[in-house]
Amino acid sequence: MSLLDGSIVGLGMTKQGRRLGLSGRILRRQALELALEDAGVSRSDIDGYILVGSGFEDLRYLGLSPRFSYSLQSGGASPGLAVLNAIGAIATGQATYVACVYGEAFTSSVSGVEPHSGRPPEPPDIGGGAYGYPYLFGQIGPISAYAHAAQRHMSTFGTTSEHLGAVAVSEREYGCVRPGALEEGNPITLADHQRSRIVTEPFRLLDCCRSTDGGVAVIVTSQDRAADCKAPAVDVLGIGTGHNVRKWHEGTMYEDRDVAVAASTAFGQAGISVADIDVAELYAPFSFAVIDQLEDYGFCPKGDGGAFVAAGQTKLSGAIPTNTGGGHLSGFYATGFTPLSEAILQLRGAAPSSQVPNATIALVSGTGGNGGITGSSAHITLVLGASA
Amino acid sequence: MKATRPLPGDVVADDLDQPFWDACRDHRFLVQRCARCGLFYWPASCCTVHGSADMAWVEASGRGQIHTYAVIHQSYRRTFLDVPYNVAVVRLDEGPLFHTSIMDCDQVEVGLRVQVAFVDYESFTLPLFRPSQTP
Repeated sequence: MSLLDGSIVGLGMTKQGRRLGLSGRILRRQALELALEDAGVSRSDIDGYILVGSGFEDLRYLGLSPRFSYSLQSGGASPGLAVLNAIGAIATGQATYVACVYGEAFTSSVSGVEPHSGRPPEPPDIGGGAYGYPYLFGQIGPISAYAHAAQRHMSTFGTTSEHLGAVAVSEREYGCVRPGALEEGNPITLADHQRSRIVTEPFRLLDCCRSTDGGVAVIVTSQDRAADCKAPAVDVLGIGTGHNVRKWHEGTMYEDRDVAVAASTAFGQAGISVADIDVAELYAPFSFAVIDQLEDYGFCPKGDGGAFVAAGQTKLSGAIPTNTGGGHLSGFYATGFTPLSEAILQLRGAAPSSQVPNATIALVSGTGGNGGITGSSAHITLVLGASA
Repeated sequence: MKATRPLPGDVVADDLDQPFWDACRDHRFLVQRCARCGLFYWPASCCTVHGSADMAWVEASGRGQIHTYAVIHQSYRRTFLDVPYNVAVVRLDEGPLFHTSIMDCDQVEVGLRVQVAFVDYESFTLPLFRPSQTP
């Protein structure tokens, strides 16, 4: 019996894509309703609510009456942290069914109510992408932090641009057969990757994800209640957290993202080793993040991640099918809900494409937030299991 | 030089680091040091063991080596339009990591020895780095 008592019993996913034209709260409402329908749980059963994002949620509009509601923001680690908090709330008697809901319209200008006073105020130059002092030198957004880690890895271990390209090709193979994925029906070759323009060296265009609009919701409850729900339960077997601001203090932040402590906590709770994992769904908005996580989770030795991917080990026929819906690069970008939702589908045996046969244990990761210096992020590991 | 780039006050909400930026105007490079254990930090920090009590700004060598770097080719909106340019992370000889850009350098690479090179703008001085003249 796992230390944790939590199951994911509902998954709601809206359309995910560019310029859907729907506001965040509409996407969250759609995702919530899909998750309730999926779980066979009614609105009034939701007694805990976590907004995965910033600001306050519009519970009035959603028609919810939870006992608590708060927003949780640590970038790509937020969905996993929301599941952790949901399980904690349930364990301490604060709730029975917790909805963890995400919905963002990153790429849409959404129509508003008329009359309106006019144009919105001029946004700051690069908005939330400034990231403190490194911005003085032109470091903008998360890409440079990932590029710094990638360059360090390339210089230390000889990882190449072709290795990065192998990640992009692997994810595109999954994404181009996935109904509704951003790159559905649009295969690429390694040569396409090598021809794509450099955005931030060492990353080319095809090493980078694009923002998408969409909503995702999951409903978390205890394992005994999960047995009564409509959808097949996915049990949370282990959770671990790390934060590489610790590595900043130690001067080793570009060597890894503090995966080891998160992995060891989660694997220990689940009573598994890396060999037991059937499918890996990794948070990786840039190709390199697949390579270092495969190493740091122990799927291959440190430094071998590039060659491991280039050898086809992340494909369906490989040692560890990884980011089987196309990941962030070719699927969609819903922060840490991209890997989390795909793991749930895989463990239900319900992946719309690229189902891993008999998948019973899935690894999910999330990375994000900022500990005061760009690149210092929270990391979370979830080990999920198909319910017996 | 007139600044066409963000200023230190644009990215930090208080004046904890004012001594650093004042020293840059005099072309002196400061780091913080915990007097209890001698460990160095940058910028204003709390020692991870001893807290804030014995932290003080001290003059540093202004030397280090390139720990990693990125070269930005994407041009974003209104600033930093002069692409490509590099953003490097330098490991200072005193220990801390420091984000900067490497100037006067044909081939930026990990491990390269560098030293601080102050660039004066109208209202502030920016600490860039360039390849060391002495090893």
